[in-house]
Amino acid sequence: MNNRLKVLRAERNWSQADLAEQLGVSRQTVNALETGRYDPSLPLAFKIARVFGHPIESIFTED
Amino acid sequence: MNASLENPRPSLLRKGALFTFLALLGGLVGYGTSVLVGDIQTAWQDEVALLMAVVTISTGLISAFVVATRPSTVPKGCGVLQVIVMMLAGGMLLLPMFGTAVATTEIVFGAVLTLLILQSLANLMLWRAADEMLRRVMLETGAMAFWAVQLCLFVYAAAERLGLVDTITGWGLMGILMGVYFIASIAAATRRGLS
Repeated sequence: MNNRLKVLRAERNWSQADLAEQLGVSRQTVNALETGRYDPSLPLAFKIARVFGHPIESIFTED
Repeated sequence: MNASLENPRPSLLRKGALFTFLALLGGLVGYGTSVLVGDIQTAWQDEVALLMAVVTISTGLISAFVVATRPSTVPKGCGVLQVIVMMLAGGMLLLPMFGTAVATTEIVFGAVLTLLILQSLANLMLWRAADEMLRRVMLETGAMAFWAVQLCLFVYAAAERLGLVDTITGWGLMGILMGVYFIASIAAATRRGLS
């Protein structure tokens, strides 16, 4: 699964640690999400969508 | 808030400090091991257990260094709990081999059981404190280790039943299990970019 996390984060001038804190996960988890090493659970995907104010399907796309 | 498109890279000074720390740790571990077992004729089972204890405690010390130099508030307490789990595991492996030099067998066994309970509690707390990716890594580690160990155990058990190989003690099997689990944890963590 592909995602736009890195771009959305940069647009808001947030570090990985900033985003991690808002999502309640570790910085390593944010890094793994951005590099495609880990696909989030549905609850975490909803939380990410809420934090960025975008629908899930505009952040996550199929390969 | 800081912009950070790239992954944070440690500074040269931090890299140097980490290298120095690891070099000192390696020297201490090597010296300590030679003092402990230098003149003792050890069985291979004890050597495996000792190696796993050294690896576990070294990993715990490295984790402690990382927690101290790069503290993370989310998920809360995970780093410290990981250090505690690894240090206790190392102690549990060392006690049966060296504990009887300073205490009776019963006291040593009691101490092992106490460490086991504490380590299980710390493991449970770590699971509850971990975020979903760390939990996934723990699950994958368990699954990989179980798959590998049950496969090897069946092959060994069949060979032993046929009289093709010698019997391995429970202590030896435990050391092998720890080794397999450690390798599985490295593989699971590497897949998620945690190593």
